[in-house]
Amino acid sequence: MSCNNIDLPSSRREFLQRAGCGFGAVAMAALGQNTGLAATGSAVSESDHPALEKIANGKGRAKNVIFLFMEGGPSHLDTFDRKPLLNKLAGQSLPPSFKAPITAMGEAKSPLLECKRNWKQYGQSGLWVSDWFPNVAEHADDLAVIHSCASNGINHAGGVCQMNTGAIFGGRPSLGAWVSYGLGTINQNLPAFVVIKDSEGTVVNGARNWGTGFMPAIYQGVEFQPNGVPIKYLDNPKGVSRDRQRQKLDLLGELNNEYNATRTDNTELEARIRGYELAYKMQSEAPKAVDLSKETQATREMYGLDHEDTAVFGRNCLLARRLVESGVRFVQLYSGAGSKWDSHSEIEKNHSKLTRSVDKPIAGLLADLKARGLLDETLVIWGGEFGRTPMSEQGGGRDHNPTGFTMWMAGGGVKGGRTIGATDELGLYAVEDRLHVHDLHATILQLLGVDHTKLIFSNKGRPERIDQNEGHAFSAIMG
Amino acid sequence: MKARTFLFASLAATSVFAADDTTRETTKFFESEVRPILANRCYECHGDKKQKGGLRMDSIAFLKTGGDTGPALVEGNPDKSPMIEAVRYKNDEFQMPPKEKLPANEIAVLEKWIQMGAPWPESGEKPAVVMEGGFTEEQRKYWCFQPLAKVTPPSTNSTWVRGNIDRFIAQKHNELALVPAPEADRTELLRRVYFDLHGVPPSATEASDFLNDTRPDAYERLIDGLLASPRYGERWAQHWLDLVRYAESDGYNEDAYRPAAWPYRDWVIRSLNADKPYDQFVREQLAGDEIDPSNPDVLIATSYLRNPIYEWNQRDVRGQWDVILTDITDTTGEVFLGLSLGCARCHNHKFDPILQKDYFRLKSFFASVHWRDDLTLATPEEKARFAEQQTAWETATADVRGKIAALIHNPQENAAERARKMFTDDLQAIIAKPASERDALEVQLGSLCERQITRAQKTIDPMKALKSEADKATYKALESELKAFDSLKPKQLLEAFVATDTGTSAPSTTLKTRKGKQEIAPGFLTIIEPKEPLITPLTNSTGRRTALANWITRPDNPLSTRVIVNRLWQYHFGKGLVATASDFGKLGEPPTHPELLDWLAEKFVTDGWSFKKMHREMMLSATYRQTARQQPSEAVSKIDPANRFLWRFSPRRLDAEQVRDALLAASGELDAKSGGPSDEGTSTRRSIYTKKKRNKQTEILQSLDAPAGFASSADRQSTTTPTQALLLLNGDWPLARARKLADRVSTIDDAWIYSLGRLPSQSEKQTAEAFLTKHAGQTKRTKSIVPPPKVKPNEFKENSAQERVLVQPQQKEGDEFTIEAIFTLDSIDINAAVRTIASRWNLGKDSVEGFGWSLGVTGVKSRYIAQTLIVQLVGEDENANIGYEVVPSKVRIELGHRYHVAATISCQTHQVSFRIQDLSTPNSPIATAVVPHAIQSKLGEGASGLVIGGLAKRAAPHHWDGKIDGVRISQGLIEESKWKESQDKWTPGLVTWMPSSKDTHFVWDGANIETVEAGDPFRRAMNDLCQVLLNTNEFFYLH
Repeated sequence: MSCNNIDLPSSRREFLQRAGCGFGAVAMAALGQNTGLAATGSAVSESDHPALEKIANGKGRAKNVIFLFMEGGPSHLDTFDRKPLLNKLAGQSLPPSFKAPITAMGEAKSPLLECKRNWKQYGQSGLWVSDWFPNVAEHADDLAVIHSCASNGINHAGGVCQMNTGAIFGGRPSLGAWVSYGLGTINQNLPAFVVIKDSEGTVVNGARNWGTGFMPAIYQGVEFQPNGVPIKYLDNPKGVSRDRQRQKLDLLGELNNEYNATRTDNTELEARIRGYELAYKMQSEAPKAVDLSKETQATREMYGLDHEDTAVFGRNCLLARRLVESGVRFVQLYSGAGSKWDSHSEIEKNHSKLTRSVDKPIAGLLADLKARGLLDETLVIWGGEFGRTPMSEQGGGRDHNPTGFTMWMAGGGVKGGRTIGATDELGLYAVEDRLHVHDLHATILQLLGVDHTKLIFSNKGRPERIDQNEGHAFSAIMG
Repeated sequence: MKARTFLFASLAATSVFAADDTTRETTKFFESEVRPILANRCYECHGDKKQKGGLRMDSIAFLKTGGDTGPALVEGNPDKSPMIEAVRYKNDEFQMPPKEKLPANEIAVLEKWIQMGAPWPESGEKPAVVMEGGFTEEQRKYWCFQPLAKVTPPSTNSTWVRGNIDRFIAQKHNELALVPAPEADRTELLRRVYFDLHGVPPSATEASDFLNDTRPDAYERLIDGLLASPRYGERWAQHWLDLVRYAESDGYNEDAYRPAAWPYRDWVIRSLNADKPYDQFVREQLAGDEIDPSNPDVLIATSYLRNPIYEWNQRDVRGQWDVILTDITDTTGEVFLGLSLGCARCHNHKFDPILQKDYFRLKSFFASVHWRDDLTLATPEEKARFAEQQTAWETATADVRGKIAALIHNPQENAAERARKMFTDDLQAIIAKPASERDALEVQLGSLCERQITRAQKTIDPMKALKSEADKATYKALESELKAFDSLKPKQLLEAFVATDTGTSAPSTTLKTRKGKQEIAPGFLTIIEPKEPLITPLTNSTGRRTALANWITRPDNPLSTRVIVNRLWQYHFGKGLVATASDFGKLGEPPTHPELLDWLAEKFVTDGWSFKKMHREMMLSATYRQTARQQPSEAVSKIDPANRFLWRFSPRRLDAEQVRDALLAASGELDAKSGGPSDEGTSTRRSIYTKKKRNKQTEILQSLDAPAGFASSADRQSTTTPTQALLLLNGDWPLARARKLADRVSTIDDAWIYSLGRLPSQSEKQTAEAFLTKHAGQTKRTKSIVPPPKVKPNEFKENSAQERVLVQPQQKEGDEFTIEAIFTLDSIDINAAVRTIASRWNLGKDSVEGFGWSLGVTGVKSRYIAQTLIVQLVGEDENANIGYEVVPSKVRIELGHRYHVAATISCQTHQVSFRIQDLSTPNSPIATAVVPHAIQSKLGEGASGLVIGGLAKRAAPHHWDGKIDGVRISQGLIEESKWKESQDKWTPGLVTWMPSSKDTHFVWDGANIETVEAGDPFRRAMNDLCQVLLNTNEFFYLH
């Protein structure tokens, strides 16, 4: 593929001058040490995003993203991608007309596993959805179900890493980091990119899934705890009152001011002071963002907070809406943190439980966003790092399938009530309008109004893009 | 038809001049049918704006020249024309237009057109770029490919100049009307050179030695002294480790620790301290195994080839191996040649004269690399001695080992068979081949497969795999029989984390393009050295990497020599003369002082590739000695705001390791120990000796921009974020350093000296005095600190000398065990922490170190029910993923009541059984619960020891608060009849602790001085002052 379509800045400095002004002085100082960029504006500028103006594609209108990540790989064959042939051939081997895949657990030759679900068509569009997602199905006319997703990661580590960063191994910025780099944030007291998990399990590869790779740390995702203290080290140390913390910061400010007075040319010094003050403000603001006491009973019920099965993910979905309302740009919710959707055996048991835990909360989120007029500007994405094989594993399970799987998008300018692409008759390979993860990333940026080929970060002389120069935005998703 | 085609073809070939009928017909066909298709379907990506794949399609010349993969068409032959292949959509990998196949009639038109000879009836064809020998004149003249120029330092009459470097700098100053800053004062210089060469600030003695040294050459002596100290290597090795993306873990999900990685880190430190010539340093890393394989101190350098990330259960073995070789190729290009080669992997480099072929020529040098797991780092004598002892042990144990092997043969074979079957047929065929029959590629792939199989065999647990009780008993007996011979067993030699070649032949390196496959032999960058290299095979190695190393270290190599001196310059001055130190290509920046760069490179080589001589040259310069405190005038802000021309010393933030080490230096805790296995990031060892896990970096290092080790890193970022501030203000580790610093100080002066290396100014002192007076009513420590209170033998209290009991390592309880305890709980945590009765856990949930368990009572904000007894488990689940699970009993524990609880924890049956009896309430019923969980194994395999009343790490909310009268842990699932509500009736278990225990296996751990500040206002105020000092800009900056 080509690198030619890049409007190439002649130097890093020029790049920063062109693209960087909107991110505020904290980021500037971070990027531009000794590049001579004068600090401008406040910590994070509210009004202008010249970077966005430069790279705008004039198409997408989404402002925020809520990415519902079903970690471990949900089965597309049992949820959104109906394959009647699978049940006809159940028990037999994969027909020789299919290219033999490399599978993670080496069960390419195992018999095909029937889908035990009941399927129904929903909405005016008549989308097929299985009985594992009855509530989400009620929003069928808002969903663009992409049946032809594809990834390179046959294992969780590579798959999750690629879905988040585009590469199967670490070192690159995550999608959320690209978005906060490209769009900035309008909230000064909260991070632009927030991650919430549904348990204390660790997402495969850990926190680097929301890291910044070669970008400055300012764009990284910040993990929120759904209960209590939302951010690590947000609370003062035990025994330190807010007043005492304030007095420490005042003393720090006083000493720093004396030092800075003779070094006014060093903008990083000022940025550091602001970093501490911002931290202090976050200490009081962030807990408010996760305080659900003002939410009505009706809202709580809509998200399933009153039911044990759905309370955890429901709470996280409700938090996502609140964070988006507070100006957080990119919220990523993990369901099944720690590969819980992985179901090499007993998929019935595994997926029954997990789909039940997310179905109502997700439907509630879609309904609530819509009711508040937020769905138009909030892109909701559902999916995992891959789907699952039509072949069985250990009797009642399915292995990983990165060669063809389903994700859906709703809101944010997506034209709903339809499917995009298709897998073959057994759901093993994407055969029509195949959308690789790179294409999905490009499409998501396009929905956010960003031409992904122009959102560039210069690293070690290479003009880097989210898609490693390989993705194409699938514009038709907007209808 | 045939004749006409011929006619058209010849017409096209001789261009169009005659407007006869045929030509008109051709023109009409082209303009009405062909050009519209090209314009509608192709130009968007292959026109004047974009040239995807390097291809333009708006002129016949461009089409003939083609793109990255050669000409787009063959006149007269549609079947051989790549553009026709593409539009036919027959090849999955090569379909154009990418989104949608053309209608059949359009394809037919294009086929017909090419069949006709691709006539393009247009005058003034746009000429394609013509390259001479594959490169344009401009590319050939690009600066970094030119030989090093012979440069004489410019003459100058400036009195500022001290050495030759300054002459070059002064010349630019003159040209740009810049004035150098005055020399830094001794305090500023001292701090700068210590951080620069040692990465730590000077001690008070070291500082006064220099500040009071009145000899004229005091500064030179300081530099020489610092260069001679072993601390020098400990600092500068970090720069190299960044470049080679050194880390101590695999980097994928499991992120397994690499226990044998650290000897390479020590080798780098040793090499730098010994001032090993750089050419030798490079040769050993690229080809130490070929140069001196029997010398462990040379062989270890090939650990360079082991740094790529690795996934233990990747069944796509071919794919993974290719990723590894690609990674080695990319890194080698960046580190040694300063070229970003990655672009050329997929196509000829767009901006630099690097051919796609060159990428594969470089990759081909590594084609035969073989990751060895069977070598040791020992001299031949050590190996001989080991072999002798090992043989003695093997002979003595042959019988018992034979019996063990026979007993577990079947389970092991089954495990191996399961693992083998996970591979595709082609790989299974390789595994089935005897080693001697494998070719080079099969050796590589086979060994990667076998790693997985061996692991599967090793991880079976005989106590689970053996079905009959008799077999289990036999196995245990044999195991202890074998153990009796341990005294004969030699100490294991150090595992060598190294690489060699597979042998004398190498697998082919293939360049696959749309046109097909091409075998690529090793070779250098065509633009510098088009000839095939001379490679001398060795008896057991290809000799390829030696050839590469020799080329890279040629004194006249224009890239490697410039690249390394530029790096040294960057580390000393903050920015390289070429600002993009790992990219000398067109996307990087050109050198600010090209003559100086060449002069330095030449001198470096002439001086024997010596780092230390070059450090001296740079650091003794007037350029280096300038103050950083010069503020730019308005004029300078316009001319050179970024200080690229060095009119002062560039201010800079300390990097992650410098900050962490400086915090430890300030607190007086910095451990001087050199070398050896790495310690935790929370320890007091220097940062370079802490564990570098790619997925789990030490928090403070990550927060301050230390790279994770996935890709070569040529410079550090310097970011400021609110979350970083939160960590530094509220994090346990930084806070503990501040407290330790406060331990050391009695006065405000002390606090300044230890943290910032100087006395406070008058106004700073007043500020600090006001702060202390306000909060403590005094400015000096007047009394010694009260020791932590003593409590009763069965009491566990935060901030007392008895917080938890650490059980010294002994036999582990395993995955099936019973735990009993008798306790009284005084409080639960107001948040979600669990009051812990006993544990083998460090709260980790996402790494193998975190494997473990705990038994305790939930806090107020627990996700589960508050104030109930729970078990927490971290182990492997059925998918061999790390699983964390809470197993709640749902039984409430009343505060102040005395309880007897027993819990049997089983991974085999996947359940925990609880039995809970309230001993304070007469006749209270016994509560029981059996709760399932999904953890399968490895509870005992984490990093934590057994702890009573807390966790493996000090975490106050998780500590027990109240009394514990006894804890008994027994292997296996003990029957209920054997549980006793009185500890006096207990028979000894695997571990039996009681308050009266005098057993030295039990060690109380309690609050030390740092935790008792609450009642001491001065101490609190001084803590705050110290913490503030450690957070000041002055602490973080060299400015």
